[in-house]
Amino acid sequence: MVSLAGLGGPSLVAAVVFAIAALALATTGALRDRPAIAAGARRALISSFGFVALATLSLLTALGSHDFSLDYVARYSSRSLEGAYTFAALWGGMEGSLLFWTLLLTGFGSLAITRARSRDPRFGGWATAVLAGIATFFLVLLVGPATPFAELSPVPADGSGLNPLLQSPGMLIHPPLLYSGFVGFSIPFAFAMAGLLSGRLDDTWFTSTRRWTLFSWSALSIGIVLGGAWAYTELGWGGYWAWDPVENASFMPWLTATAFLHSVVIQEKRRMLKVWNVTLILLTYVLAVFGTFLTRSGILSSIHTFTEGPIGKWFLPFLALMLIGGLATIVARLDRLRSENRFDALVSRESAFLANNVLFVAAAFAVLWGTIYPIVAEVTSGVRLSVGPPFFNSVFVPIALAILLLTGIGPLISWRRMSRGAFTRVVRAPIGAGIVTVAGLAVFGVDSVGTLTAFGLCAFTAVAVIGEFVRGGRVYRMRGENWFDALVSTVSRNRRRYGGYVVHLGIVLIVIGLAGAAFKSERHALLERGGSMRIGDYTLTYEDRIQRETSEKQINVVDIGVSRGGEELTTLSPQRNFHFAQGQPQSEVAIRTTPAEDLYVVVTSIDPDGAAAIRAFVNPLTWWIWVGAGVMLGGIAILLSSPVPVAVTGRVRREVREPAVAVR
Amino acid sequence: MRKLAGAFAALSIALMAPVAHAAPQDVANDISMHVMSPFCPGVTLHDCPTENAAELRERIVVMVEDGFTRGQIIEFIENEYGVATRATPDPGGAGIIVWLLPGIAALGGAAVAWHFARRWARVPARPEGYDPDAHITASDRRRLDAELRRFQGET
Repeated sequence: MVSLAGLGGPSLVAAVVFAIAALALATTGALRDRPAIAAGARRALISSFGFVALATLSLLTALGSHDFSLDYVARYSSRSLEGAYTFAALWGGMEGSLLFWTLLLTGFGSLAITRARSRDPRFGGWATAVLAGIATFFLVLLVGPATPFAELSPVPADGSGLNPLLQSPGMLIHPPLLYSGFVGFSIPFAFAMAGLLSGRLDDTWFTSTRRWTLFSWSALSIGIVLGGAWAYTELGWGGYWAWDPVENASFMPWLTATAFLHSVVIQEKRRMLKVWNVTLILLTYVLAVFGTFLTRSGILSSIHTFTEGPIGKWFLPFLALMLIGGLATIVARLDRLRSENRFDALVSRESAFLANNVLFVAAAFAVLWGTIYPIVAEVTSGVRLSVGPPFFNSVFVPIALAILLLTGIGPLISWRRMSRGAFTRVVRAPIGAGIVTVAGLAVFGVDSVGTLTAFGLCAFTAVAVIGEFVRGGRVYRMRGENWFDALVSTVSRNRRRYGGYVVHLGIVLIVIGLAGAAFKSERHALLERGGSMRIGDYTLTYEDRIQRETSEKQINVVDIGVSRGGEELTTLSPQRNFHFAQGQPQSEVAIRTTPAEDLYVVVTSIDPDGAAAIRAFVNPLTWWIWVGAGVMLGGIAILLSSPVPVAVTGRVRREVREPAVAVR
Repeated sequence: MRKLAGAFAALSIALMAPVAHAAPQDVANDISMHVMSPFCPGVTLHDCPTENAAELRERIVVMVEDGFTRGQIIEFIENEYGVATRATPDPGGAGIIVWLLPGIAALGGAAVAWHFARRWARVPARPEGYDPDAHITASDRRRLDAELRRFQGET
């Protein structure tokens, strides 16, 4: 009898057959405009999803039952691996993470095309074809060079286990969120391509995928922040972002997707920037797949080496096909993507959105260029160079500050046009707040121009955005509502607009937290038991060490007494552990967190005589990064709850423009 | 052009540099943030959690205390572990393009956007006899005026 674990390989073969069938049927149905064939394609893609789900279940069963006859299970799990991490090993290695990616892709794709089945069959057919084409690529990898079901002989008694750095709660949620974000963008990408291929170039592609776009952007945003939190609490270097190539890989599509979320509003409201919007969604998806290529090819040096494998070369032709094919399709439809309106004035919200788009894309380009330059340098000069955080901070931060300025200016400017007098009136308070903040900080001794600029812009933007809530609330106050009800009414009546403003407020808080890094301090010392060190106003005393062992690791808990001005504040207990299976030491960080600053303590080594090497950081304002992320999450929830706009076709627009004719 | 790139890089770094500190550990920390770790792929020496990296960071502190300059220490690490430890390409030579290209791309993008914005902002002349309010009825007009008066009165 075949076990569930044994069904994995055959399921993937069946999935690839159904994906190819979906691709062929969808293309035929779309070309011949035959709804019945397009429906068959849809069912084939759903079947492919079913078989991928079965393969995933099969791998999870093998992980759960410690079936080390599978090479993947032996490499990424062990008998001592704790609970949920056994199943998180699904995305702990290259093959499993590709299977998880394909599960999401076929699942999201099936859901999206089922919901869109009542639409034009040619449009639906092309959307299915694009999604099935992408699924086919990943499934071919899974049945070929990246199969998670390769068998191992002889079967080992135990597995190597998951990398200790991955045994963190972050592992349970950060990768799934990032993958959901990356994969989710395949839906708007497929629908945009379907719009171009079917010639249906009205609002259908972006209105019907608006929730997918928001969902994907939200998942990527939260995933990136959680990745930062994971690095902060797990890696022990006192930071949350290292401009590592794999971090950059998730950040680049986020930047272009953020540009898209803004520019698509102009298409919705003014029927402009149509070429730009399809290009942005194409770039976003290509960058998402490019990120997967970077992560898995090993072409760049990254600390995320656990997902590397030999499949990088497969991605290059796929990426080229998507990029060249996508751009060619856009060029072929250029004549039908012309803007239907014009800017009424240069000082308008449309212009602010355009400037915002230029900056986001420039930022994405700067990150891409810095990330791939080591490859370019090696190919052109034969010398392996590095491009590290100093470059990215120098190039990216000025662009980010300009984006922050526009985040404040954008809401103040009205659509179409605005008089200079009106603009001066609304911008007065935010500018005043910015100036007061800068002056206040300068009085307190802050002399870094970059830091002053960042805090000044945060104040400017916060006041500008809060001012929007106040202006909106006033309208409901006129009806006699109290301020709280007025604000609730303001937000609930226009959830999309005010949800966006809440996200902007979250971003301001995150920038405050990031800017606090300018005041960071760090000390390290080798302490004997009873010894002390000072950092900032704190005195850290090595009080005790407790050693114990589990089947998986030796645990060394170092108790550090924390006092300030003679007053005992707390005891922090960082750990320095040794994982037996990997033969690898690992530090567990201890943090005392407050809104003003984090005291961050890590043990980097313990000598045989018991002396502990302590590295301590004082990280001012870091708490606000996580609070800002929470506020962003609130804004995202408001955005996701907003009603989806109805697609406006050319016919409907003509009727709206000429109501008298339509009534008659 | 090279001077321009160098000035751009220096200005950018200066703008973003934290408040200067004098303690040897602070100088050493700053140096380790500008050197890629020979022990951890893709991260700076400062961020690398291995014991080898901790030893090298300690060695930098000692060098700072011994009076070595920042340039001498970075050169020492480069000689010891290879050119890939340099965290930013030299603005001189071919490295100039790394620094200039993002700026050129941003300016190019801004120029293209400006071109389109100006072109789109040229509103075509209205046809003779065009009345933008023609489709608003008299009762709508009265209601709008009343609401505006009420709103302005309140604010």
